[in-house]
Amino acid sequence: MQPKTGAMIYHKTVIILTALILGMPIAATVLYSFATNWGPTILPDGLTLKWFETLLAEPRFLMALGRSLLICFATLLFSTLLVLPMVFAVFYYFPRLKDVMEVIIILPFAVPPVVSSVGLLQLFAGDPVPIVGTPWILIGTYFTITVPFMYRALANGLEGINLKDLIDAAHLLGANTFTAFMRCILPNLNRALLASLFISFSFLMGEFVFANILVGTRFETLQIYLYTKRMTSGHLNAAIVTTYFFLTLALTWAAMYLSRPRTEKPVEDE
Amino acid sequence: MSTDNQHYVSVRALSKSFEEQHVFENLDFDIAKGEFVTLLGPSGCGKSTLLRCLAGLEQPDTGSISVDGVDITRAKAQKRGIGMVFQSYALFPNMTVTENIAFGLKMQRVAASEIASRVERGVALVELQGNEKKYPHQLSGGQKQRVALARALVTEPRILLLDEPLSALDARIRRSLREQIREIQKDLHLTTVFVTHDQEEAMTISDRIFLMSKGKIVQKATPDEIYLNPINEFAARFIGSYNLLTRDQARDVLGFETTCGLIAVRPESIYIAQDGGLYPPSCSRPVKAVIDSHQLLGNVIRYRARLAGDLFLTVDVMNRSSSRLVEPGAEVSLLFNMAEIRPLSE
Repeated sequence: MQPKTGAMIYHKTVIILTALILGMPIAATVLYSFATNWGPTILPDGLTLKWFETLLAEPRFLMALGRSLLICFATLLFSTLLVLPMVFAVFYYFPRLKDVMEVIIILPFAVPPVVSSVGLLQLFAGDPVPIVGTPWILIGTYFTITVPFMYRALANGLEGINLKDLIDAAHLLGANTFTAFMRCILPNLNRALLASLFISFSFLMGEFVFANILVGTRFETLQIYLYTKRMTSGHLNAAIVTTYFFLTLALTWAAMYLSRPRTEKPVEDE
Repeated sequence: MSTDNQHYVSVRALSKSFEEQHVFENLDFDIAKGEFVTLLGPSGCGKSTLLRCLAGLEQPDTGSISVDGVDITRAKAQKRGIGMVFQSYALFPNMTVTENIAFGLKMQRVAASEIASRVERGVALVELQGNEKKYPHQLSGGQKQRVALARALVTEPRILLLDEPLSALDARIRRSLREQIREIQKDLHLTTVFVTHDQEEAMTISDRIFLMSKGKIVQKATPDEIYLNPINEFAARFIGSYNLLTRDQARDVLGFETTCGLIAVRPESIYIAQDGGLYPPSCSRPVKAVIDSHQLLGNVIRYRARLAGDLFLTVDVMNRSSSRLVEPGAEVSLLFNMAEIRPLSE
């Protein structure tokens, strides 16, 4: 049934307005990063790549980007190695812990970062683990942020397969539990795992509060660099944000692409 | 050490309980080499857990299981040489049909060239040629279960266990796959234990049926024997649509004297007397009844007849065009074939 034209116009107007409101600042920022000079006119005087050239020639930016990537990858590696066996253990050996896990994975989001970072500062300022101001505390803190993403995604993946029967079948065919997990279970979780890694990555690349309070300029990440540059050239800042924005967009898109449902239909019994 | 073929699988005093709850207790049985045995019983009777103990997926509390004279009670599942097919198919979703079937052989470190030829034979055995490169989600239920069967068979197991493999399939596929399983089992002379709650399935496929109830084996017999001579009330109720009469009802209606508490009368052992009909000489005198309702089961018409004292009996009559349908409310005379009446022990 085709909706009435009046209603269609109304719907389209609302959607286009919303998209404009959401898209305008991004479009303006992107345009600003390419602008030579953008003063009292509606559109900039001219376009240039010089802000990006300046940015990419700036060693401090590249160092900051490198640090951010290092911390993200270290966190994701650490999380994968720890969460993957943990989820398997919960689902295969201790299914009763599922309810407990659901509560635990909410905790990192239940406490605001400003509050928990103050606690972390006190806890890790001195002995026995004086790691405030080092990348280690960020990796540890970021781990707690990635656990919910990864647990949720992997748990959904495991709910979708018949874990117990698959492992039983693999056992009877001669595989031990480790081989059964690596060859018969893990390949089915690849997409869920990758999607959660991409989501976590884009979240961590944009994280500022923990990075600022726990480490600050002692281990300058991308967001801290952006913050210290806030009083300098607006064009350069726009270039930083644009770079960061497209990086995140690509990764989020990859995550959505990987977690899309499969569409092939099975055949009917003849 | 090898024992004779009659005791190829030997289970002694096997018990298992979960959290104080007995699943089964003190089971003893033997299975001959190449025999097709069905564990039949209602859900919760312990048949699936018993099968899982044979497979090594559950540990029994006490008792022993031996195969070919070797005790395997505590052996790991992967060392038992037992193949199993699950109700849920349990195909590895990340592997193609070929990879699924080859998995067991890879685990046994069989040479690649031999794997290829054995997988090919396995695919041919279950008639799935042309589907080798498909993934499980592209297959129908019947095809999935045939892949699972081939996957279990190519490893050449000593025993094949089937845990309600047909329950998730629709009726037509269930019948054809059932026949296929039986044919393959006979061809390979494969010792097989099949679990089901469907008595018709058990009757048609098995060499022997172990009828289970509440963790005990109630009766071990051929399908024929179980059908004709149910050992007790449970067996009679579970196996067929037996009519069960108390001692008093048997005496009042049929003049049948017995010391047993119950007697069982099969629905096809009762005749609706018709003029000129020929009935076995062992039939009782006519008993008056009123037809209450009827049900058409295809080749059989199943009547519900009401006798004096509000006793309802089921009567099966072959659906021949010559015999007219008796309408509900009609008064009829029933003849009981006394030779086929079975007194039941408690």
